[in-house]
Amino acid sequence: MNAGQQPLVEFHDVTVAYGRRPVLWNIDLAIAEPCLFGVIGPNGAGKSTLLKAALGLVPVVGGFVRFGGLPLRQVRGRVGYVPQRESVDWDFPVNVMDVVLMGTYGRLGWLRWPGRRERAVAAECLERVGLADLAHRQIGRLSGGQQQRVFLARALAQEADIYLLDEPMAGVDVRSQEQIFGVLAALRDAGRLVIVVHHDLRTAAEWFDQVALIDRRLVAAGPTAAVLTTDNLQKTYAGEIELLEQLGQAVADRGRTE
Amino acid sequence: MTLATFGQSALIAMAGLGLTHNTLVVLGGVAAVGCGAGVVGSLTLLRKRPLVGDAAAHATLVGVAGAFLATGRRDLPTLLAGAAVSAVAGLLVLVLLRRFTRTREDAATAIVIGVSFGLGLALLGGITARGMPGGGGLERFLLGQTAALTARDAALLAAISLLAIVVVMAVLKELLLVAFDPAFAAATGWPVGLLDAGLMVLIAVMVVIGLPAAGAVLVTALVVIPPVAARQWTERVGVMLVLAGLFGLVAAVGGVAVSSLRSGLATGPLVVLVAAAICLASVVIAPRRGLLARRLRSRFDVGGDRS
Amino acid sequence: MSSEAFALHAWSMLTAAVVSASCGLVGTLLVVRRMSLLGDAIAHAVLPGIVVGVLAGGRLGGPLVLVGAVVAALLTIGLTRGLRAAVGLAEDAGSGVVFTTLFAAGVVMISLFASRVDLDPECVLFGILELAAFDVVSVGGLEVPRALLTATAVLAIVASGLAATWQLQIATAFDQEAAAAAGIPVAAVTTGLLALTAVATVAGFEAVGAVLVVAMLVVPAATAELLVHRMHQVALVAVTVAVVAAGLGWLAAWRWNTSAAGMITVVLGGFYAAAVVLAPADGLLARLVRKLALDWRVAREDWLARIWRAGELAGAAGESVPRPRPRTGLERAAAVWLRLTGRVNRSAGKVRLSKDGAREAETVVRSHRLWETWLGRHADLPADHLHPPAEWVEHHLGQAMRERIEAELAEGEADPHGREIPPEAGRPDGPPSVV
Repeated sequence: MNAGQQPLVEFHDVTVAYGRRPVLWNIDLAIAEPCLFGVIGPNGAGKSTLLKAALGLVPVVGGFVRFGGLPLRQVRGRVGYVPQRESVDWDFPVNVMDVVLMGTYGRLGWLRWPGRRERAVAAECLERVGLADLAHRQIGRLSGGQQQRVFLARALAQEADIYLLDEPMAGVDVRSQEQIFGVLAALRDAGRLVIVVHHDLRTAAEWFDQVALIDRRLVAAGPTAAVLTTDNLQKTYAGEIELLEQLGQAVADRGRTE
Repeated sequence: MTLATFGQSALIAMAGLGLTHNTLVVLGGVAAVGCGAGVVGSLTLLRKRPLVGDAAAHATLVGVAGAFLATGRRDLPTLLAGAAVSAVAGLLVLVLLRRFTRTREDAATAIVIGVSFGLGLALLGGITARGMPGGGGLERFLLGQTAALTARDAALLAAISLLAIVVVMAVLKELLLVAFDPAFAAATGWPVGLLDAGLMVLIAVMVVIGLPAAGAVLVTALVVIPPVAARQWTERVGVMLVLAGLFGLVAAVGGVAVSSLRSGLATGPLVVLVAAAICLASVVIAPRRGLLARRLRSRFDVGGDRS
Repeated sequence: MSSEAFALHAWSMLTAAVVSASCGLVGTLLVVRRMSLLGDAIAHAVLPGIVVGVLAGGRLGGPLVLVGAVVAALLTIGLTRGLRAAVGLAEDAGSGVVFTTLFAAGVVMISLFASRVDLDPECVLFGILELAAFDVVSVGGLEVPRALLTATAVLAIVASGLAATWQLQIATAFDQEAAAAAGIPVAAVTTGLLALTAVATVAGFEAVGAVLVVAMLVVPAATAELLVHRMHQVALVAVTVAVVAAGLGWLAAWRWNTSAAGMITVVLGGFYAAAVVLAPADGLLARLVRKLALDWRVAREDWLARIWRAGELAGAAGESVPRPRPRTGLERAAAVWLRLTGRVNRSAGKVRLSKDGAREAETVVRSHRLWETWLGRHADLPADHLHPPAEWVEHHLGQAMRERIEAELAEGEADPHGREIPPEAGRPDGPPSVV
């Protein structure tokens, strides 16, 4: 997928606005090689928004996002997504296997039902996340960690090159977290790029090869040890964003400056 | 006894019961409509927008009156075509209100329901007050009345309903994906907006063909209640769709059949009451999710803790 | 018009207006609390309550019927919540199941007990406003429609109920959790509101029928919200809209010989549509005007800043420079305007900024460079990526924000490209010298 020298994922001057109010300002970020990449920052910093901007789920009012130099719609099949668990009603009448099969729909296209090949892929993905024996359980009867692993299995079933995960460890027990991290590390070792929005600084320092610190704008990005300095963390977690909020409000009010 | 003589005897027996060929076709049409309403309604229930049909339903009246005023004709296909146009228009207005005004979503829905129905009543009232030839009897679209249905009308309704079911089946996995996880669907390249719009159009169609059986005010019950009842019985979507279709069918046929026992009774309320009865039974006696089942389970759990 | 006909119209319009006022008043709280569809549900569900009230010997508009309506309304809420608690059914779906069932039951009851219930099936859906003037009662020598008496009683109940609990209602509507934490009996307040809704609905039901009560509850308040923003103002405007629409609707129905209920609703819809387009702050027209004003300001500022920068590059900010080419039609128009208003002087293919023009240009360039500096410090952006963000932020950075940024900087600090940042216009430093 790497077209020549193009980075695997590139955010160029990406500004995202909710309504008319900017929430992410001029993000410039390029990730060149497969690795485990963490997106870290305080609550409300726009980390999830960054992921959603990459996936075309929120409108980008300035700049663009490219995958290997190409826009998302040309490489849909190569980008896997694990959304936040709260985004879904777990009382839906489907079981684990049904959900994982949804990952194969992208390759199937319209008017075709999942067949033997798709079921085999789904079964294998369930195996990798350790849920093979729960394939026929209704999803509402799973624990938080199991639900998260179902989402992960669904993304694996997409057979993608780049994976975007939104807070996969939130509200998940430690054992499941370790299990999930193991799957992600295996993906990285197999040459995939794995981008993870993550909330915990301590595990971030342990797990990720590279990180980006986000608080409405990109504070710093690069190898973990180099980026997670006191200075950068200060700028991110206790930094000056009141000006950004004021400015955002001024823009939202359509140019009333005073 | 050959098949032919059996058939003849059956027809004679049914004629004795007052069940003419015409009645049977009408019941068949109503059954198909109820079935389709249950199936399509299941999708909107799963998509967490069960009342989107209500706005469409109340808007149909404008189209019915408008079609009559525009063409002077009062045959069912003409009137329903008008209803379809105004139903879609009502949904469009709803979407525009949500997009371009600060008005809250529930208020916008209520506004479309009330104002479109008022406009319809204003047109209808004008037709009645002027005593326009052929204008009387348009009120049957308020609460439903199948007495005036011809066999051809019923066949048309059945055909449309079956077509809608086929369409749903064709894009079932896409509709379920969007209902379950719209963010994942959008991220993996599915046109969520288009699919949602398609579902709204399907609901508008079901609401329109449900007008003869249930009327504009109550047809929304036909797409809401059977799916709610069906959900109680299963954790598999496929089974839920089948049951919703079945419950819708029984409600429609039951309501129409009961209403024929007394002349002049509107069919809509009876269809709703049959559906509600099925729903009540489902809520109470369904295994696992039913009230009785939960009560029994909690009793046993309390006892089991001691062991 | 004969005096009888006039009296007929006057009484009917008055009745409609009073009914409308009650619904509009109660509707204000329903709309603000996102309970519009609940109002819709109650408007349908009170029917069996009314029928039971009539069967029990009551009369339309009498206390028995009102009690029946309130009971039916509370039953609706209770069943909806019960379904959610018992089988996890979402509130909107549950509401849909309950109110359609109750309404259907009401209609069937009317048919079954037709002889004992003096209710027309038409009344249920159309209302009987047109007949109100014929059912009169003697009050102090005047022949007053009974419906008007009922409506007035209802208005009195609703108005006094709301007035007594207004502060509590507002607090609950604004932030339910905070209200509960402050000790307000939120459940009781809500139940009270629902009971008042049921009462108002009964009056409305008689006038315009079940479905259109929804319009009378929701549309006035929705219209008012587009026009004003404080709660008591919203209530006032809502009632005004409701009353005027009732009067106009009645007249329109008379003029065009059609259902009064329908026309009142249509007029309400018309008012709402007018507010959507014409509202001063939020209306579509106002938004369009604001957008055009912004585009115009941006075009003007861009033009002035371009000339200023050309001058800086050429060595002297105040000097004439060759006229740049406008990039858009709007910029071309802005250039003409600036020349006409004396901010830009043009002669022989060269342009020069007047003192006012230069001051405005410097403000824009100052905003631009200050923003580049701030971004350069606080965000991880290479120097050549700072220009595009500043290009649009420069139009939105106000004086207060500029001063905040400048407070961070060292004296005489240059922007990330090494260029000097013009001082705030009107400062004793005067116009800048050139880099």
